[in-house]
Formats: sequence, C-alpha cells, structure tokens
Amino acid sequence: MNGPLIVQSDKTLLLEVDHERADDCRRAIAPFAELERAPEHIHTYRVTPLGLWNARAAGHDAEQVVDALVQYSRYPVPHALLVDIAETMDRYGRLTLSKHPAHGLVLTTTDRPVLEEVLKSKRIAPLVGARIDPDTVAVHPSERGQIKQTLLKLGWPAEDLAGYVDGEAHPIELAEDGWALRPYQKQAVENFWHGGSGVVVLPCGAGKTLVGAGSMAQAKSTTLILVTNTVSARQWKHELVKRTSLTEDEIGEYSGTKKEIRPVTIATYQVLTTKRKGVYPHLELFDSRDWGLIVYDEVHLLPAPVFKFTADLQARRRLGLTATLVREDGRESDVFSLIGPKRFDAPWKEIEAQGYIAPADCVEVRVNLTDSERLAYATAETEEKYRFCATTDTKRKVTEAIVRRFAGQQVLVIGQYIDQLDELGEHLGAPVIKGETSNAQREKLFEAFRQGEISVLVVSKVANFSIDLPEATVAIQVSGTFGSRQEEAQRLGRVLRPKADGHQAHFYSVVARDTIDQDFAAHRQRFLAEQGYAYRIVDADELLAEGA
Amino acid sequence: MTAGFPRASPRTGVRATPPSYPPATVDRMSTEEKPAAPRSLAEALRARDDASLAALLRSRPDLITPVPTDLTQLATRAGTRASVVRALERLDRFTLQTAEALAVAADPATYDELLGLLAGDEGDPAVAGALPRALAALREQALVWGGDDRLRLVRTARELLAPSAQHPSPTGLGPTVQEATAGMSPGRIQEILTDVGLPSTHDSVSAVAALGALFTDRTRMAALLADLPEESRQVLSRLVWGPPYGQVTHDPAPHLRRLLDRGLLLPTAPGTVVLPREVALHLRGGRAHRAPEPVPPPVETAATHRPQMVDATAAGQALAALGTVEELLKDWDEGGPAVLRAGGLSMRDLKRTAVALDVPEPVAAFWVELAYAAGLLASDGEADERYAATPEYDEWRELPAAERWVRLAEAWLLATRTPGLVGGRDAKDRTLSALGPNLDRSAAPEVRHRVLALLAGLPEGAAPVEDSVLARLRWERPQRREDDLRTRLARWTLSEAELLGVTGRGALSAPGRALIGAPEARHPDEGEPSGPGDKLPVHHRVPHAPASLSPAEQAAASATAARLLAPLLPEPLDHVLLQADLTAVAPGPLERPLADMLGVLADVESKGGATVYRFTPASVRRALDAGRSAADLHAFLAAHSRTPVPQPLAYLIDDVARRHGQLRVGAASAYVRCDDDAMLSEILADKRAAALGLRRLAPTVLAAQADPAALLEGLRAMGFAPAAESAAGDVLIARADAHRTPPRTAPEPVPDGPPVPDDTLLAAAIRAIRAGDLASTAPRKPAPGDDSPDANGELPRTGPAETLATMQAAVLTGEALWIGYVNAEGAASQRVVAPIRVEGGFVTAYDHTADEVRTYPLHRITGVAELADDSR
Repeated sequence: MNGPLIVQSDKTLLLEVDHERADDCRRAIAPFAELERAPEHIHTYRVTPLGLWNARAAGHDAEQVVDALVQYSRYPVPHALLVDIAETMDRYGRLTLSKHPAHGLVLTTTDRPVLEEVLKSKRIAPLVGARIDPDTVAVHPSERGQIKQTLLKLGWPAEDLAGYVDGEAHPIELAEDGWALRPYQKQAVENFWHGGSGVVVLPCGAGKTLVGAGSMAQAKSTTLILVTNTVSARQWKHELVKRTSLTEDEIGEYSGTKKEIRPVTIATYQVLTTKRKGVYPHLELFDSRDWGLIVYDEVHLLPAPVFKFTADLQARRRLGLTATLVREDGRESDVFSLIGPKRFDAPWKEIEAQGYIAPADCVEVRVNLTDSERLAYATAETEEKYRFCATTDTKRKVTEAIVRRFAGQQVLVIGQYIDQLDELGEHLGAPVIKGETSNAQREKLFEAFRQGEISVLVVSKVANFSIDLPEATVAIQVSGTFGSRQEEAQRLGRVLRPKADGHQAHFYSVVARDTIDQDFAAHRQRFLAEQGYAYRIVDADELLAEGA
Repeated sequence: MTAGFPRASPRTGVRATPPSYPPATVDRMSTEEKPAAPRSLAEALRARDDASLAALLRSRPDLITPVPTDLTQLATRAGTRASVVRALERLDRFTLQTAEALAVAADPATYDELLGLLAGDEGDPAVAGALPRALAALREQALVWGGDDRLRLVRTARELLAPSAQHPSPTGLGPTVQEATAGMSPGRIQEILTDVGLPSTHDSVSAVAALGALFTDRTRMAALLADLPEESRQVLSRLVWGPPYGQVTHDPAPHLRRLLDRGLLLPTAPGTVVLPREVALHLRGGRAHRAPEPVPPPVETAATHRPQMVDATAAGQALAALGTVEELLKDWDEGGPAVLRAGGLSMRDLKRTAVALDVPEPVAAFWVELAYAAGLLASDGEADERYAATPEYDEWRELPAAERWVRLAEAWLLATRTPGLVGGRDAKDRTLSALGPNLDRSAAPEVRHRVLALLAGLPEGAAPVEDSVLARLRWERPQRREDDLRTRLARWTLSEAELLGVTGRGALSAPGRALIGAPEARHPDEGEPSGPGDKLPVHHRVPHAPASLSPAEQAAASATAARLLAPLLPEPLDHVLLQADLTAVAPGPLERPLADMLGVLADVESKGGATVYRFTPASVRRALDAGRSAADLHAFLAAHSRTPVPQPLAYLIDDVARRHGQLRVGAASAYVRCDDDAMLSEILADKRAAALGLRRLAPTVLAAQADPAALLEGLRAMGFAPAAESAAGDVLIARADAHRTPPRTAPEPVPDGPPVPDDTLLAAAIRAIRAGDLASTAPRKPAPGDDSPDANGELPRTGPAETLATMQAAVLTGEALWIGYVNAEGAASQRVVAPIRVEGGFVTAYDHTADEVRTYPLHRITGVAELADDSR
C-alpha cells in the first residue's frame, strides 16, 4: 500500500513521478487513461469512457485495468469506481459491425437486450435494415459511420470489424537512406496498421509526417492526405519525396490554386469545405480514386464538415495524426467513432527524454504598459482590448532585447497582428511572413531561414501549423489567438525540433501586465506547465537591465 | 396417530381445533402421566423456574405490559391472539415448521409423532438434531407446553396454524378424515367402509376411526393405493402437496369416482373434494412439510479478500464518508435548502445535493439522512425554515477522524430512519422525501445489526453472496406479507455498510466487527465450519432477540471500533507538493490547520485519497483578504512544501499582493482640503482636532469622521477660517436666511373640549331652545270644530283637508303655526313653523325650532293649530 498512484473519486489518477515504481505504473495505466497534466511532481491522468473504450479497442480488458489500479494505488481504490470501470468497458464490443457473406454490413450483438435497446432508439432506426436473426440486423453500408457515431452517443460503442477495401494498389516504399524511423514512430505505424484505423498522438516535432509516410508504405495503395493549409501541403510533399520512393509526379496537390489528382493526393481542409451554392463542389475528390488510405493531419483541427464526409468513408483505412486529442470544440467522441480509437500516444517529455525533440526553456516576460497606454487600455472597447494590450510598444523593446541576446541564433518572432509584425520586422530588419505573402515567397524565406541566410523571421499565425523550421532555437511570441492551448502547443513545437548542436531551445512569451493579455497567457501557460514545461516569469525591466 | 383423537365427535363439525386443555380429557389420561404433569399452560408456567420465565418474558415482552397479576393471567395473556401472532412472527422457519407440524398433529402429540411429521417415515438426522432446539424455543415462548409425551400447542396458535378452508396451511394439508366426514351421512360412511373392505359398523364414530386407522396404516394403505388405476393415483399426486382441494363435476369420471368411493377424496361442498390429511401424509411419507428446513441456510462466501485489504478499503471508504458529510454540510453552510411544508427536502434540492456530491440521488439521500441521524444537521426552526448544521457538528469536526466515523456509524446502526425509502411512495401515494416524515421503520436497527452479525459469522475477509444473506434472514424470520420490508432493509444495509466503510469489498472490516460488539474475527481453521454443515450454535436459542446492545455495551463497542479504525486511517500529512502549473497536491489527508489554510489560499480541484488544490489570483487574493501577507504566504508554502516553491507560484503571490489593497476604500463624513501642507499638519497637531477624527489621506487632504457642520465649527473654534465646499467643489456661501420650507399651512388647533360659542351662535341656540319650549308649551287656538279642551303636550290632530287649508291661509297671512310632525323613523315632534308655500304635497316653511327653512311632506303632518295670539 505504498504505490505511486492515487485514485481520486472523480476518476482522475494522480501519479507521483518520483516514485520508484512510477515508470511501471505509467506503462500500466497509459492504455486506458489520458494524460491530462504532466507537471513536475504529480501527473494527472483521467479515466474517461472514451479512454476505456480505447483500451478495449487495443485489446485490454477490464481486469487488466482494475489490476493496474489496485496494484499501484497508494490508497484503497473506491469499489464503486472499479465497478464503474468494469461496466463501462463491458459496454464496448457488445455490438460489432461486420461483413456478412449474404447480407453485407451487419450489426451483431452478443447481448440481445442491448440490440433491442439500441434498435428502439429513433436515431438508429433509419440507419438499419432488416432483422436477420435475433442477434443480427442489417446496416445500410452508407451509414457505417453514422451508426458508429450514434451508437457511441447511446453509450454502446460498436467495434468495427467490417474491414476495409484495399483500394487501388500503388507501390510506396520508405527510402531509409541515412535515416530510419525512430522506434516510437515504428511502434505507432505498427499499432495503427494492426488496429485498422485510428489516431496517433505525437507531440509537435516528433515526426508525425514520417508516421504518415510509414503507414503509406505499409498500405502500398493510393492515399489521400488531408492537411490544414497549402504550406503544410507543400511540406508534406517535400517530405514524402525525400523520405519515400514516391516522385514529385506521383504526388498531387489539391488546393485553392491547383487541382491535381494523383496516386497520392494532398488536399487542404479549406478547399474541401469550400461551399458553393450550398454544396461542397470538391467532394468528388473522395470518390475520384479508389483510395486505400486516408491520412488526416492535425485531427484536432478537423472541421465539422470533414467529419460528415468521413462518416461516408468508413470502408477505407483512416489515419489521424495529432499532437493532442483535446479539441476546443469538444468533438473528441466524433474523432473516436469516425476516424478511430487512439492507437499510439507518447508524452512530450518522454520523447524529449529520448532526445528526439529539443528541451525548451519557457519564459514569460511581463511588460508594463506606459501610463498613457494604461489609460487608453482602460477606455478601449472590449473587443479592442486584447489587440491594444497585445501590441503595446514596450513589447517591441523587449523583443529587440531578446533578439539581441540571441544574436547568431535562429529566432522566430510569432504574432497575431500584422501591424505589430510589420513594425517589428522593420525594427529588427527581418522579413515578415503573413497571410498575404505568396506561397513562393514564403517558401523562399523559409528556405533562407533554414539555410541560415537570415537569422530572424517574423511570422503571423500562418506559421502555426506544419511548417518545418528545424533550425529555429528561439521563438518569441508577442501576441496570440487569445488563450488557445493548441496554438501554444504548435508554437512551442516550432522550437522543439531537435537541434543540430543539441543546445537548448528558448520560448519567450511577451505579455502585457495586468491586462487580458496576461489572463490569456496564463491560460496558455497552464497548458505548458501541464505538459511539463516549467516556465519562469520575469519582469521586462529585469530583462532589459540584463541585456543592457 | 388418529386413533387417539380426543373428543372425536361429529359435533365439532369442520372445526379443526379441539380445545387444547379440556379438563375431562386430561383427567382421563392423567393416570398415565407423571404426577407433576401440568394440566394447563398456567400450570406449566407455574412449574417453570424464574430463569425460564425470564426467558419467556424477554422473548415476548408484550406479556408484561402491564405486568400480569398472576401466572393464570400471564397464561391467558400468552394465549391471546395478538400476542401469539406476534410470537409466531418472530419464529425462525424451522421452529415455525415445528409449530405448524404440531398444529396438524393430534392434540396432545408425542415427541415421536412430531418428529415423524417433520422428518418423514425415513427419518432425517438433521431434523432429529434440530427438533429439540425448536421445541425448546416453542416451550420457552409458551407456545407449546406439556412433556414430550403430551406436547400441546396453545390453542390460539393451533387455530392460527391449523389448516382450514379459509386459511390454507403452509403445510398444504387438508382436514382429517374425522373433520372431513363430520357432516356426512352415516350411510355414506358405511358405503366407504364397505368399499375399502372394512367391517361395517353402525357407530359413525367408530366407523370414522376405523377409516382413519386404515389411512394411517402404511401397509394396508399401500395395498389400497396399489389397487387404483394410474389416473387416480395421478389425481392424488396432484393434490398431495396442496392445496388439497379439488373440483369435481356432478358426474365424476370413473377414476375420480374410485377415489370418492374409497374415501380417498372426501366431499367438502358441492363440487369440491378434499384430500384427507391422513391420506396426504401417507403419500408424503409422513412429512408435514415438503422441505423441512432444520438448519439455517448458510451465508455463502462470494469472495475472500485479504483482511488487510478489506480493512484498508473500508478505512478508505470511512475517510470518504467523513469527507462527504463535511462537504455536504459545508455546502449548506451559507443557507441550506428549505424545509418543505410537509417536512423534508425537496426532490430538486436532493438532486442538487447529489450533483454537488457527485453521487447518485439515493446515495445523496443516504448521506443527508446519516448526517441528520447523527445530529449533525437539522432544521433551523426559523420562519423561513432551512436545514443547517447543528452546533454539534462543530464539536464533531474537532474529534479525531476515527471517532468522527464511529459517531456516524453508530448513528446509522441505531437509526430507525430508512434512507432507502426516499423517493418511494407512502400508503397515501405521497413521495417520501429525504429528512421528511414517514421514513422510520422500527425493524431497521435490528435488521442492520443482524446482517452485520451474519457477516461477522463469516471468516475474516469473506464477502457474502447477497442472496444467501437475504435467504438466511428470511429463514430466521419468515415473512408472510408480500411487502418484504426486511429483505429490502437487509439489501440497503449491505450497500450502506459499504458506503460507510463498515464493510470493505463486501466483507466486514475489523472496526465494523467491533462496532456491533461481535467478538474478534474467527479464523477459518477454528470455530464453526461454514457451508452446508453450518449449524446454529447451541447458545443460539433465541435467534431473534432484539439485537441491539445496551447503551453501555454500544459505547464500549464503539470505542473499540474507533481504536481499531484509527491506525487504519492514513496519518494526516503536514506537507503538500507544489507544482509549476499552480497546483498543490496533498497526497493524503491533511492536518486540519493546513487543510483550512490551503482551503482559503487555493481552490479544491479534485478530491479523494488525495486533494488537488489550484492557486488562482482570486484564491490568493482571498488569502490576502483574510489578513495574510505575501510574506506569510511564502513562508507557509515554503514550510509545507516538500519541494521548492515553483517560481510562477511565488510570482503569482507577489503579483497579486502587489495589486492587493492598491485601492483602498473607507468611510469618512467630511474632508479637509488645503493646498498648504503645513496648515494641515498644524491642524493634525492641534489637540482640539482630536474630536473631529481627522486622518491624513494625502499631503493636501484630511478625512474626518465628524460631519461637515461640526468640522467647520471645530476648525473655526481652532482659529481657522474654513469654507464649505459642494460636491462639485464650489465654495458654499453661508447665508442668514439659510433654510426655508416649501409653503406650508399652519396646523389646525386641536382644542380640548368644544369651543366657546359666539353671540350669534348663542342667540340661535337660545332661540332654538325657546322655540322648542314654545312648541311644547304654546297655548293654541282651539281648532274649529274641535271643542275639546286643548291638551298640552299632545300632537295637534286635524284632518288633511283642514291641515291644507290652514297651511295655505298661513302662507297668505305669514302666521306661524304649531304642527305635529312624524319623521321617517316614526318619531313624533312638535314644531312651530311659518309656511312659505304649499305645493305638490309639501309644505316649505321656516322652522322656528330649527331656525331654518325646511320642507315637510304634508302626509307626515299629524295636525296643525294656530298659535295663541299672546305667544307671539
């Protein structure tokens, strides 16, 4: 009774990381508990129905879960909680979707009352066909995604064993010349392939693209890749050409500007969700080829319409890639039912400890508004307040001081407001990449930055996602999208790519004191701290004094 | 056995129960008995020693309320229906079966007969072993008396238990041959005798006895039955275990006719036949019950856990219970829920409480009721009645955890309030609400105690199969009614015990065992075996004695429980772990002062074995508001953190402290403002200013507690020349005619008594008086034609025509007239009037009496007379 784990009645698990058995315990609970916070001493995991079902999908049973809790718990585990866990896990797999040789897609149950219960639901009725026998009911093949979504909402998640179409074969091999998939990437590919469909959760900078490439090499079939934006699409293409046997010609880009459909096609969410006269004109992309694999980059940003399309794609293998399952809109359950359960997960710190991502020093710099700024802030309209405090002049001075301090290193300045960025660019003598910058220009600048031709780059939020800037060692965040946690994760990811010389990355947030900027920063930093990144708070005066 | 029926007589009719102690019978048979054999229950009681009587009164306490005068009265009372019913209800199943068997046996019966009925012809060692105990219990409770050769069930019990058409017996047996043939014609009986091959006899009594003897004789009976066709035997086998009654048509089928002919079925009413008791017993192999249950069903073990694990789980739950009760009452600290008009907690409040405690509603009801039973919460009795913690709660909070738990557990164990009923409906279909009326069930404490005692009987760490516990309870106290309250109570007991931590993982914990005063856990290798061979211990003679301990015993048991629990509860910690995400984790219960302080400084985010606190600017400000300084907080955190205080947390405290109190708010009545700092310093230094309550807020501002006028006065007195200032900062000019009201009227005087009249008034008054006087006293001219002497004081009487004429004349002459007048109320008066005009039936006249012009209806004027000339 001196385990490292404390099981709370609200179903959170507190893991004391310094305990000698902490590592064993972490491994035992990871399959079913979501790591919620990982600050320095006590990590918090949460047991949710989705997590438990994820574990069931991965082949764990209730007994293993209960054993893990009982074995490592410091205090007796509340009996009710154990019972609840067993009951919840027992709900998964009572219903299975499978292929029937004669009737096509069918929903089968091992527990007849459950089938009766769900068939009574008004939402299920339109999705199913004839009752084949007391335990089996036919399901319209087109409703495979819909029924999974609905069953999950009813609390009876169905196990999808109906298999996948192979899709059009296309030879893809990894070109492992001078590099190899890291062990955890291999593990992720293997888990995904084994599970059929699902989500791989890896921190930014941990090489999610390679997991995608690895999966494609497994599937060896035509692949549709959905990414957030064009830059990211180019990045994917670049990476695939470099890492696989695919050539430029085999990879098509389907975006606002280009509409290529090739054996491997990379499409942006934006073009897919463009609506014209009430219809989505680009939907035919999904049917344009017999895709064998669909890769969703940044699953946590998946727009709602894409979920709808995805519901119709249940017969194809789906791989979701993300840094976090946390969605600001709370649609985690749709990710679970439509893309698939979590197949692989590795906490940031663990991968950092393995040396694959750079350790980071996170600093929040608090600047004081000048007296006149304070007055102006106090009288500003509510919607203008954030902009006002986020773009205070003092931030410029502080940013300059930081840039000076890290002279010679690759510095990214990230911000939200174009005026501010333009001004900063001017003062720092650095190019600015913003929404209006052409893609060609962007890539040119990124390349120059990568090559070390320019050492300071000012970027707007276009840089939030999927742009590989391997040599940035310092990121300075001057303003952000309010308190978005995933934005913070992405930005931190900018500097977490492993450095050639292995030295420390720095992540600075410049924040105006006593304003909502500070409140938003607190929200974002809580996320950092929960990810295990200890941060310091320093006063701008201190920093300027040091710099002087 | 039927041969010995006393008073076998057709006159007893269908009545199954002969009087239980007819003196004549006893006299006749007493020669065979020992001289001391009692002849009545009273005598039997008289023969018992004090201890045995005490046992009787202990098991049937209703017999001594009020205390009977003598044993005869005690015996009579023991035979009353209510008392017997009560006693029978408290028998365990086998003892009841014994009583039921006695009720279908001869009266009196011998021990062997009784044993035969219970064990059957083949015998049953378990029954044989258990019977002495059951019989002893029945004897002790004065339900059975007499020696083993003459066992008698008291008459009332016999009436209650013996089968009759109205009350089928649990044995499923029908009436005896003698009872069933009571109304039968002697000729029919003769026919039956002939049919079964018995010699005929004209005496009905001996005929019935012969038939009975045949039916009880196993050999002859077997032969008789063997002779029957298969169909007939099937009919019998359908009736054998009861109910023994069957329907037949007027013209029964041949196989039924065979049975009727031989008396194996006897008619009871047209179309109804019954299987006589003797025949049924023969077919049953002599057994009165299909399944005698001589041994209590064992409480089966579902799982055996390590006792340490059980105790730890229970202790964890005990801690959670304490936490829940505290959380509940803390939640109600600032105004608990309102008391319903009918009493109790509204469904909505219960739901809200359930959500706050994060438990299902029935569990929330349990905690609420528990706190109530323990006296920790009650209604505040205000006009707007609400629930709130009692002062006792504050005392309770100060106790060590183990003692706090024992208080709760004891309250639960002894309470008759039954939270399990909450949400159900009472007999009048009203919802039963938590804390409301009608939740008391007197059986609850006893059932709880008994359930726990059963658990205590299991080996340490063994969790029972719930159904086996319930089955055991039903054996110990068979329930006749459908609404099986005891079973529900037992079920609730098991789940509540788990919630409270009396049990852990279903097994009784050591403190729980101590709480009910059970001896230390027995080890599996010693003591009684469990399983099918489980026997009632010998001392278990009164299985249903009230289970509760005396207050002193309970106190001792509780103290033991607390002593056992204390080491199981985790030691309160004096430290927390601080983290950079601004949380503090207390990996166990905290010492009270630390917990209280952290509760102010941080918000609780998660509870359970550990507590997670989160520091926010608001929570830190709360601590600063509570009078802590930033330095205090730093010291506090440093002292109680095992790890260095994270920089962001320290920064947060400083940051909040920096802003805390930057704005200051206070109350002042007036202020003094002056551009010259020195002058304000001078004022402050002046002793005379002390009364003004001056405080310097800024170099040029003083705040005063005195109001502006007093301040001005005071400053002037000190030799300054202050000017008053308006809210906008203008100097107020002091003017002489400072303050005026809006236009006002002077108040009306309120005199004491009537005002002094003026001359006019006086004159009028006098005139009126005089006129009145005149009217009553004036000499009148005799009316024309009225020759009677004028009677003073009487109303004038004239005819209408004359009145009219006189009036009209008076109008012309302007003379005053004397009239008699009857007002609307019928009151008559005399007036002196000067008519002005007469029209439409009205006279308008100047009334001298009233001194005004009035109008009189002519028809109200009784008469009129001219005034004598001398009165003018």
